[in-house]
Amino acid sequence: MTSATNGTRSYTLRIWRQSDNASPGALVEYRVEDIDAQMSFLEMLDHLNDTLERKGELPVAFESDCREGICGMCGIVIDGRPHGPVPNLTTCGLRMREFESGATITIEPFRASAFPLVRDLVVDRSSFDRVMQAGGYVSVNCGQAPEANAMPIGKDVAEAAMDSAACIGCGACVASCPNASASLFVGAKIRQFALLPQGQAERTRRARRMVAVMDQEGFGDCSNHGECEAACPKAISIENIAVLRREYLRTLVRR
Amino acid sequence: MNCADPANRYASAALMQTLPFRPWSSIGKKLLNGLTGLLLMLFIAAHLAGNLTLLVGTDAFNAYAEGLHRLGVIVPLAEIGLTALVAAHVLSAVAVYNDRRAARNVRYTMVASKGGSSKQSVFSRSMIVTGGVLLVFLVLHVWQFRFGPSIAEGYVTLLHGEPVRDLYRLVVETFQNPLWVVFYLGVMVLLGFHLRHGFWSAFQSLGLLAPHTRALAFSAGGVVALVIAAGFLLLPIWLFLSADPRAAAGVVMVVP
Amino acid sequence: MDLEIVDGDLSSGAPEGPVETRWDRHRFDLKLVNPANKRKYTVLVVGTGLAGASAASTLAELGYNVENFCIQDTPRRAHSVAAQGGINAAKNYPNDGDSVWRLFYDTIKGGDFRARESNVYRLAQLSANIIDQCVAQGVPFAREYGGTLANRSFGGAQVSRTFYARGQTGQQLLLGAYSSLMRQVDEGRVRLHARREMLDLVVVDGHAKGIITRNLVTGALERWAGDAVLLCTGGYSTVYYLSTNAVNSNATAAWRCHKRGALFANPCFMQIHPTCIPMQGRTQSKLTLMSESLRNDGRIWVPKQAGDARRPDQIPEDERDYFLERIYPAFGNLVPRDVASRAAKHVCDEGRGVGATGLAVYLDFKDAMARLGHATVEQRYSNLFEMYREITGESPYEVPMQIYPAPHYTMGGLWVDYNLQSTIPGLHVLGEANFSDHGANRLGASALMQGLCDGYFVIPYTLGNYLAGQKPGTVRTDHAAFAATEATVRGGVDKLLAIDGRRTARDFHWDLGRLLWDKVGMSRDPEGIRDTIGKIRSLREEFWQNVRVPGSGDSLNQSLEYAGRVADYLELGELIAIDALHRDESCGCHLRTDHQSAEGEPVRNDGDFSYVAAWEHSGDPGRPRLHRERLAFDNVHLAVRNYK
Repeated sequence: MTSATNGTRSYTLRIWRQSDNASPGALVEYRVEDIDAQMSFLEMLDHLNDTLERKGELPVAFESDCREGICGMCGIVIDGRPHGPVPNLTTCGLRMREFESGATITIEPFRASAFPLVRDLVVDRSSFDRVMQAGGYVSVNCGQAPEANAMPIGKDVAEAAMDSAACIGCGACVASCPNASASLFVGAKIRQFALLPQGQAERTRRARRMVAVMDQEGFGDCSNHGECEAACPKAISIENIAVLRREYLRTLVRR
Repeated sequence: MNCADPANRYASAALMQTLPFRPWSSIGKKLLNGLTGLLLMLFIAAHLAGNLTLLVGTDAFNAYAEGLHRLGVIVPLAEIGLTALVAAHVLSAVAVYNDRRAARNVRYTMVASKGGSSKQSVFSRSMIVTGGVLLVFLVLHVWQFRFGPSIAEGYVTLLHGEPVRDLYRLVVETFQNPLWVVFYLGVMVLLGFHLRHGFWSAFQSLGLLAPHTRALAFSAGGVVALVIAAGFLLLPIWLFLSADPRAAAGVVMVVP
Repeated sequence: MDLEIVDGDLSSGAPEGPVETRWDRHRFDLKLVNPANKRKYTVLVVGTGLAGASAASTLAELGYNVENFCIQDTPRRAHSVAAQGGINAAKNYPNDGDSVWRLFYDTIKGGDFRARESNVYRLAQLSANIIDQCVAQGVPFAREYGGTLANRSFGGAQVSRTFYARGQTGQQLLLGAYSSLMRQVDEGRVRLHARREMLDLVVVDGHAKGIITRNLVTGALERWAGDAVLLCTGGYSTVYYLSTNAVNSNATAAWRCHKRGALFANPCFMQIHPTCIPMQGRTQSKLTLMSESLRNDGRIWVPKQAGDARRPDQIPEDERDYFLERIYPAFGNLVPRDVASRAAKHVCDEGRGVGATGLAVYLDFKDAMARLGHATVEQRYSNLFEMYREITGESPYEVPMQIYPAPHYTMGGLWVDYNLQSTIPGLHVLGEANFSDHGANRLGASALMQGLCDGYFVIPYTLGNYLAGQKPGTVRTDHAAFAATEATVRGGVDKLLAIDGRRTARDFHWDLGRLLWDKVGMSRDPEGIRDTIGKIRSLREEFWQNVRVPGSGDSLNQSLEYAGRVADYLELGELIAIDALHRDESCGCHLRTDHQSAEGEPVRNDGDFSYVAAWEHSGDPGRPRLHRERLAFDNVHLAVRNYK
């Protein structure tokens, strides 16, 4: 490879360790050596865990799955920023060349009351599922679908809906929000269906129910800091939050 | 069989099948806060425009004040309306703040903004503080001028031959005191802070912004904050520097 | 190889007669469950990918009780989410000559005549319904200006039958199925159990009647009773350690069903995707797929001289070998996946590979940029180029991309009949976890089609046929079989924790992956495979003496989860090698160096190997019994694939 792949780096990691939600947690310091610039951040953590396992110590629990930025499973706060310093990227896509050798890196879990901690850097984001259960769907049974081209949808509308649908449900919006609000996540789903003809029949019920469950789950309210858009690995716009409000306001006058 | 999985909390409940619009939902609170904020901004802009008559002189300002009083029954209605606006604005803001504290039960050790398109700033993060200061100021300000010394206490002047309250004198006297000047200056800077985030944020809270209008509203918010704050900063400074000799001498001039 | 062979016991159960009407006739023959009785049946669905989520939601819509399990924190993370390219359907919207028959024909031919005609025809038939269903759910497929659905040609197909949603088709289809699933959870018809790993199947009187899961958060072993079990747990590409699959993808649930009696079919049929970012080093955890669409405009080359260490821009045009264009002038860089992969391996084996490891070829966009202009290339590929730059630190606008093949999809899986039922009655297998529709090689954009077809349109009919013959709720979790199966699982977990050796599970997984990749990967020879079988056995023995699993079983312990999956892979790996050794021919992705033409093309042996190899677990992973399901090609005539 032509770029700087050789030359090993070392880092000091301050990682949040906590055995479960009921126990106290604390930052614990680790040293990692022999880190290649091309390694992903998660591979660096794999490397740390291998070292810990060989010593018989408990590895740091963290989550990841596809490791190509689409499943939304990885997500930790790196030096105060969800998914780390690089915009439009998930943690799994982050490479160690972004961090100077010798740096101290602080790693914390996503923090929100609606995301209770499971262990170390693992949190429970099932609150998102429950919000989706409240209306994040079109009520159509399998077999009822009309011919796909029977309902034309303009290219621009489809593209705009896709912009919202691109959400990977990672929770970085909640983690980055000073208020721990889920408005971007909820707004993205509301907007996708508000734009599409398929979503019209349940528009009012969807907005009311999803907002109600979002509130019950203990997410905060949106104060328009806009941090979620910057932290979102898919750059989902806070326009979705504006639409969420508009859609909710709409339910005042429309049944 | 274990059916108590947390993922199914709402399952099969007849819960919320027919749910009303809830003004006090997370979205409702922001709609309310944004709407009241916008209306209060309109009031502030009008208030500033009126106050600028101070720069013209005694009669201009007193005429403006008296003009407002002549509106009759509209005055108490406006006062009640404004009080309600402030109350709704404050209550919704405090509720948002409380929700925020509950929504993150464990704090981060380290917090940083991602930059980029983020609108997070010292202004956005200090809304509850600047708002709190403005509320305290508001009480003081109303006590000082609305309920302050009037004709009975000798603050009277003749306008077109009629005796009216000499509010100009009260203002001028107040701003002879450097402590009042400094206090007002400080608060007006914080008003600018509040408007810097509050202006565009109100439109966003009402769901009025699309990406292109958002950029416009955000920039306009800076201009509005600057203009309003500058206008309100100008008055105490100007009054302090161009001290009116009548007030400075402490002479009570009652024209019979 | 001396094998115990059983013939004649496997039947697909598909009706005879004209292939076009087989599914219709079969549907009419299937027994139905009375609508009022459906709620009395409980179906356990394991997995929430395209197959699992679509099956769980559709069965719930019909009125069955569904218990749905996944290992992730939410169903929406299943690895179907990562599919980029698209989904095929014989809609013929572009009016370019597509038809159900053509999709059927292409799939059979693409699978190199090792798939079952009845299943493939049904898949092609139902493909159009899938698109209708997904559109109704609000999946934002790409559209034309007039508002109709857009199509593209994909993976070398000569018609444009691929529907797509940017480069995130799998994600959007999965979110569609997930949304239907969430609706059924809200209705109370589906109960969702996330962070559960299925560790065994409970078989009562020969029928699948339950599963044992481990709650990954509390460590508790849990018993679940049901009237049928649906296994929708995906493929096993991660047996190679480095693959394009998610790091949690695994074969444990399928393998444990295999050990309970389900036959495992064609395990050596493994698709290698040609355009992946090459391996960088020992610490790498996965290989990232770059969309196949890059081959539409990029030109693949290596230096003519072995060992040429010059930078690509210093190698003059006449010293470059555009090997795909040279060998396959008709299709050039667009030859099917297996052909492109093998050619890349071949030139690297000659020492002409590039990059730090010598295991890469160039994918060059210089000519495309000259021909189309920088702007057009940027418009077509900017997302992919950006992704490549993020990973490698190099910009494909300036230097050629480096690519290399990587394990991507497993055509093999648990054997199922026409009803998607395994050899254990009641255990049905859907999606990539079964073997059924892709033969020896899968066409691009067909995996999503199969997963959704199984879940939305096949199992809702065929499961009813099974359940109609079963009395509902006969087995409860206090049955002795549950206690015995749970004890087996507990024994396995305790055994792993007790070894306390010196090497991590990852070390063993890495070693297994390298063994398989080297000798049972893109090309295979009998000597190498035999040698590998011996090495896998030794590795397995070492594993059970020397693996170290820290922590305990009573809480979240990712090391323990992983070790269990690696233990199963050490057995499955051997079966893959045995299958590759026994299949004494080349076909599709299975290239045996002792069965290739002078030009290096695979040479099938239809006389001896036109069958599905379904393996039965005998208790000893090294001595499986072979069952053969003969394949008949009545509609598509056996022919040699030729892309020259």
